[in-house]
Amino acid sequence: MNYTAVFYWSLAVTAMGLVLTGIWGVLTRRNVLRIALAFTLADTGVNLLLVWTGFLPGRGAPIMDGTVSSVVDPLPQALVLTSIVIGVAVAALFVVVGVLASRKSGSADVRRMKELKW
Amino acid sequence: MIRNLAGLIITAAAAAVLFAMAPGLDVPEELHGPAGYYVENGLEETGSVNLVTAIVVAYRGMDTLGEVVVLFSASTAVVLILTLIPMATGPSRPSPVVELTARVLPGAISLFGIYVVTHGHLSPGGGFPGGAVVASSFLLVLLGTTGMPGSSRLLTAVESLAGISFGLMGFWGAMILGQFLNSTVIPGGTPGTLVSAGLIPLISLAIGAKVASELSGVFASYRKKGGEA
Repeated sequence: MNYTAVFYWSLAVTAMGLVLTGIWGVLTRRNVLRIALAFTLADTGVNLLLVWTGFLPGRGAPIMDGTVSSVVDPLPQALVLTSIVIGVAVAALFVVVGVLASRKSGSADVRRMKELKW
Repeated sequence: MIRNLAGLIITAAAAAVLFAMAPGLDVPEELHGPAGYYVENGLEETGSVNLVTAIVVAYRGMDTLGEVVVLFSASTAVVLILTLIPMATGPSRPSPVVELTARVLPGAISLFGIYVVTHGHLSPGGGFPGGAVVASSFLLVLLGTTGMPGSSRLLTAVESLAGISFGLMGFWGAMILGQFLNSTVIPGGTPGTLVSAGLIPLISLAIGAKVASELSGVFASYRKKGGEA
């Protein structure tokens, strides 16, 4: 295992770690704002993982102005570009609904929000 | 306790799924799938030096239109909830540092955002990041005052105009070349110059205006009091 492989796979492990931290946070935290924060962590991890799938070590950014000879995969970057903005909007919606629900139940604790339980 | 244990188990299962997706310990050397085609023919077909923008606006323009709709519905939901149920308890006076920063910086930030939008086909950037930068300057203005800068009517007008023009440019391609959102309906120009790549800069501009006005609308609605539409 050479340096390039270590670098390449450490990126993937970082992205997966972010996703897993987010999932764990969503499942175990009780404060609705912390759940929203964990959700955005997972979101960031997924974006990073998607960009990583198109990454090839030693290649340049996909801008064909003659300064680079070989480039990385532009497709995941294009999809993540839109995904980031969507993530912001979804996080805003998440926070608003969370604040509303915590006002209704008098606390930000999801255990006290009975409307979502059956 | 049970909650933490269950969370740990599910997270471990998710970790197993993620690591099972790893194809092996080899580092890829070649582009696979449609990427090779985009890299080989993207510049020639669209005239856009930045291939990411070429994909966002031209090859996957339909997806981008869908993403804009998703953004629109999310921001509409936020604005709707905050208009029906007021959340603002009255903003507190910003600190002098924030107040001064909000007077000095927004112009420069907006200018940079507009640069990112208009040079999306030449350098890293495009409608989505540029629009977000412009919206962040609006957020700074909002943080530096206790009032409501600008009018929400203007924001709505910009947003609608940008959305409509995006759709119309799509139909322009459909009518002339029989392909929705084909960016080559107007002459391409020399690749690498500001006026080039056909419709791509114009569509980027529409996306940038839409993203900026939508995110600004979301930020503004946090400040709004109930009853103001």
